[in-house]
Amino acid sequence: MPIHQLSNTDVRPIEVVDPGTDSAPDTDRPWIVLVWNDPINLMSYVTLVLQKLFGYSLEKATELMLDVHNKGRAVVSSGTREHAEFDVYRLHEHGLWATMQREDA
Amino acid sequence: MGNDATRRRIVVARKPKGPITRIDATTYSLNIDASDRTTLNALLDQLRDVLMHDSSSDIARRLFPAAYHQDEKHEQEYQRLMRDELLSSRLASLSLTSTLLERETTGDNVVLTADELDALMRSINSLRLVLGTLLDVGEDEFEADLDEDDPGYGQYQLYSYLGWLLDWVVTVQTEFN
Repeated sequence: MPIHQLSNTDVRPIEVVDPGTDSAPDTDRPWIVLVWNDPINLMSYVTLVLQKLFGYSLEKATELMLDVHNKGRAVVSSGTREHAEFDVYRLHEHGLWATMQREDA
Repeated sequence: MGNDATRRRIVVARKPKGPITRIDATTYSLNIDASDRTTLNALLDQLRDVLMHDSSSDIARRLFPAAYHQDEKHEQEYQRLMRDELLSSRLASLSLTSTLLERETTGDNVVLTADELDALMRSINSLRLVLGTLLDVGEDEFEADLDEDDPGYGQYQLYSYLGWLLDWVVTVQTEFN
């Protein structure tokens, strides 16, 4: 703004909407990676892929696999958007049906 | 999820060895006869052809799932950045698998590194995803209703064979964990 216009600048306070602090800003919510049930991938294969990609124990990977099989989906990882995209890509490379979304979306 | 390999695995598990055995921590032996390797290679060629010329076709849709199923804008951006990379990865895996299946063998044994076994595993799974999509495989067992006169009988047999082989590839990687 040119200096000669500064004297005409309206400096009165204005009302703004308080965003509040009840919920975290959208950008603070982590992303989650979901694996969905499908009728083709073998249960043993899904378990092994979860172990290999995420370093899960056999027990943990089996638990997640059974959630996928019985409940239709399971959250297999979470974090930043970039990290979730990386995980989704690796799961897609191995043929698993994976998606990502904001937590609680 | 499918567990169609289970029944066949129970039968095969009575045999002393499966089609894949572990030699040491990083080396495996694939033991399937030459005709099976030729069949597998022909299937890999067909899949490679689909991916190179018609990767957006309906039968290949399971190989390229959506990442952002609730967000079309992010999904478009993701696919713009990652689809070609995923395609290249799949083609590289198919190429490596074809190469190892054509390798000179001692008897019917093909020696594989861990990376080659991983490529074989992903390639077999890609074939199952496409074949399963083509056959419209659902959660229910299908073998019980299989009729030899069914026009899709050969494809079902192939799908079942790939499931059996994949299950062994998985087993050989987990039995020493």
